[in-house]
Amino acid sequence: MIARADLRCTSCGRGLAGRGATAFLCPSCGVETIGRDARCRDQSVPYKCKNCGFVGP
Amino acid sequence: MPDDEIQVTEPLTSTTSEGQDIRPGELLVPEDTYLTAGVHIGTQQKSASMRHFVFKIRYDGLYVLDIKETDRRIRLAAQFLARFPPDKILAVSQRQYGQKPVRIFAKTIGAVSFSERFVPGSLTNPNLAEYIEPKVLMVTDPATDMQGLSEAVSVGIPVVGLCDVNNETRNVDLVIPCNNKGRVSLATIYWLLGREVLRARSGSEAEPAYPLTIEDFQAAL
Repeated sequence: MIARADLRCTSCGRGLAGRGATAFLCPSCGVETIGRDARCRDQSVPYKCKNCGFVGP
Repeated sequence: MPDDEIQVTEPLTSTTSEGQDIRPGELLVPEDTYLTAGVHIGTQQKSASMRHFVFKIRYDGLYVLDIKETDRRIRLAAQFLARFPPDKILAVSQRQYGQKPVRIFAKTIGAVSFSERFVPGSLTNPNLAEYIEPKVLMVTDPATDMQGLSEAVSVGIPVVGLCDVNNETRNVDLVIPCNNKGRVSLATIYWLLGREVLRARSGSEAEPAYPLTIEDFQAAL
């Protein structure tokens, strides 16, 4: 478990507070934690892994 | 789960870099298998979020998907799903041709599947008999599996989605670009995903025991 306050959206840098946010390990390298807040998920804003450079979604 | 906490599942297997797992220029199955299944066939409408996955536009206006990117994303999705406990993976399909592939895929990897109606509240209402708490959701079509998608957003779990050229990728965290309408295409994608998840779990390059064929995944006409 990681406290939400410690995580930030990988795309925009906002804190992952509230409904709709999620966090998961990078699908490619499995090392970096990718955070996505509700707005970036809804608008399908791309995220980039700082470890391996994978760009999603 | 308390509102101020978020679940991050740690990897079950050792971490490998992208270069070790994905061999450039080598597809999971022969290219002809993809092409005959029609995995690359898109639609005549294109959404802005899927433009990165388009390979070309055919003379009749049909958008064609990039097979190599589809192949790469299947590997990534399999690695991603393999990090979760099997019974915490939920695969859903409201689409008729996706129901049998989803059922067999879920049975193969030990996941849970909702292959018929997605009862509203299945992820959010603990009073329902159907209530489960998955850690990742796999959708066959973000447009038809909208109920599952919105509930996954509510509970804050990541979503893997099969997306065609006309799909919006909103609220999908990992896109697998493919033809999510074709009977054989869906069977091929889920067959490959099942095989690759088992391979990723075993952690070896060797072919896992996988007696199923693409035909076993195909829905009846």
